[in-house]
Amino acid sequence: MPVQKDRTTPHHRKAIHEMQLRPNRVKEKIYAGEVAVSVVGFTHPDDIDVFGPIAQANGIDAVWLEGEHAGVDHANLGNLTRACDLWGLTPVVRINENSQGLIYRTLDCGAQAIAVPHVNTAEEAQNVVLGGKFPPIGRRGNYASRQGHGVPNYMELADDHSLLIVFIEDIIAYQNLDEILEVENIDIFFVAPGDFAASMGHKGIWDQVANIPEVAETMEDTFHRIHAAGKIAGATCGKAGLQRYLDLGAKFFLTTTQEWINDGAANFMDIVKNH
Amino acid sequence: MQLRPNRAKDKLAAGEVAIVVGGMSDPDAIDAFGPIANANDIAGMWLEGEHAGVDASTLGNLTRACDLWGISPVVRINENSQGLIYRTLDCGAQGIVVPHVNTAAEARNVVDGGKFPPIGKRGAYTSRQGHGVSNYMNIADDYSLLVILIEDIIAYQNLDEILEVDQIDVFFVAPSDFAASMGHTGDINHPEVVETMNDAFRRIEAAGRNSGATCGQAEIPRYLDLGAKFLLTSIGPWLSNGAASFMDDVKNH
Repeated sequence: MPVQKDRTTPHHRKAIHEMQLRPNRVKEKIYAGEVAVSVVGFTHPDDIDVFGPIAQANGIDAVWLEGEHAGVDHANLGNLTRACDLWGLTPVVRINENSQGLIYRTLDCGAQAIAVPHVNTAEEAQNVVLGGKFPPIGRRGNYASRQGHGVPNYMELADDHSLLIVFIEDIIAYQNLDEILEVENIDIFFVAPGDFAASMGHKGIWDQVANIPEVAETMEDTFHRIHAAGKIAGATCGKAGLQRYLDLGAKFFLTTTQEWINDGAANFMDIVKNH
Repeated sequence: MQLRPNRAKDKLAAGEVAIVVGGMSDPDAIDAFGPIANANDIAGMWLEGEHAGVDASTLGNLTRACDLWGISPVVRINENSQGLIYRTLDCGAQGIVVPHVNTAAEARNVVDGGKFPPIGKRGAYTSRQGHGVSNYMNIADDYSLLVILIEDIIAYQNLDEILEVDQIDVFFVAPSDFAASMGHTGDINHPEVVETMNDAFRRIEAAGRNSGATCGQAEIPRYLDLGAKFLLTSIGPWLSNGAASFMDDVKNH
């Protein structure tokens, strides 16, 4: 839907520099059939800024900002996502609740992608789309998002640039998977092991419960059905789980800096201790 | 309350090597690193206020995250100012690092800011580390760690007199500014720079003092052989190595 021109705009405002909407690297990659990788573990803009050149040197696409369980919220999203913008990293924000208002406010603050946990029905998936896309697709509130500053046609382009991720992480979502997969405008169906296993009666550490045969089999079937529906699957893993999920066709990955820091610290201290 | 132990200072006192890690700007990142630090016997967290954003307004939260895991918060400040030194301690630092200390008088200025009378001139105040500690003023000086950076050729020339200043715990020999001050900007491996630094380490050890160094994994043996007891390293290479290794597997699939 075209934005109406404001014919009363004063002459001096024409001097405002017109910006292109920033590309969404993850969205571009996954629709080009490539694998996109996001990294979680940064809670301060300066740390993201330091990570920028490392991400670029290694072809990492995105920073995962954790607002389902950790401190990411509207007060800090501006600064966090600006640090991502600077390096062309897609800021992916996991939110705490499947709320239309929370989804579009998070986009307005600078997120390029929204990850919504515990989406268990087609209706819940549709709610994510309603919050994440402007009319006529959804009901996203009309506002010049931070990503839209200086972009004259932001409202026309925003829906093509925003990325929506739903979490398939309950056995009930698995049971409803066929109807969930029919919901349009969801870019990634993210299969997360920790809650998946818990909902099947297996509580434990996320990368370990993923190997329980019943859980592994259910998750694998989920990946296959996402694939069969022509949709894109996401997975979370460390280095050890990577081959498994690549083999299952996952195109979007979440991994954490914790493993890298842990390995680095252990290697460093081994040399100190053994000297 | 008991005053919190200073793990880095305790290690030095025991003749052990204290490792300090830099690269985290947020309390939540430090909190997540806590169990990794403890599993690997890492002694301190380097909070960067000479070049980065650590200041009086962020130090309370940053150092509280360190306290929670028993990691010494070591803060590098921007200026050899007595007021800045004791305010940084008051906000929760257990260690102070002062850059570009080039003379004995400058080293004494660090002690004047970092220790209460009669040793120095630190202003009397209940530091954040002193909340609930009834005898804080009596014991604080034994718990605070003072680090000075030997990083200019003029400091090398004045090293003997600097090494005579009491109450400095670590004489930290930093290569980049050292090389720059010798006319070898960016060339820390220039033979002249390496030899001068090596001599500085040897003289620090000969004076019975602790030396500090900054290094990645590859240079650990060099500095330990030179007697360094305080090593600063950065999580940058760990992230870089982890990222490269992960992405190699993605690309080679």
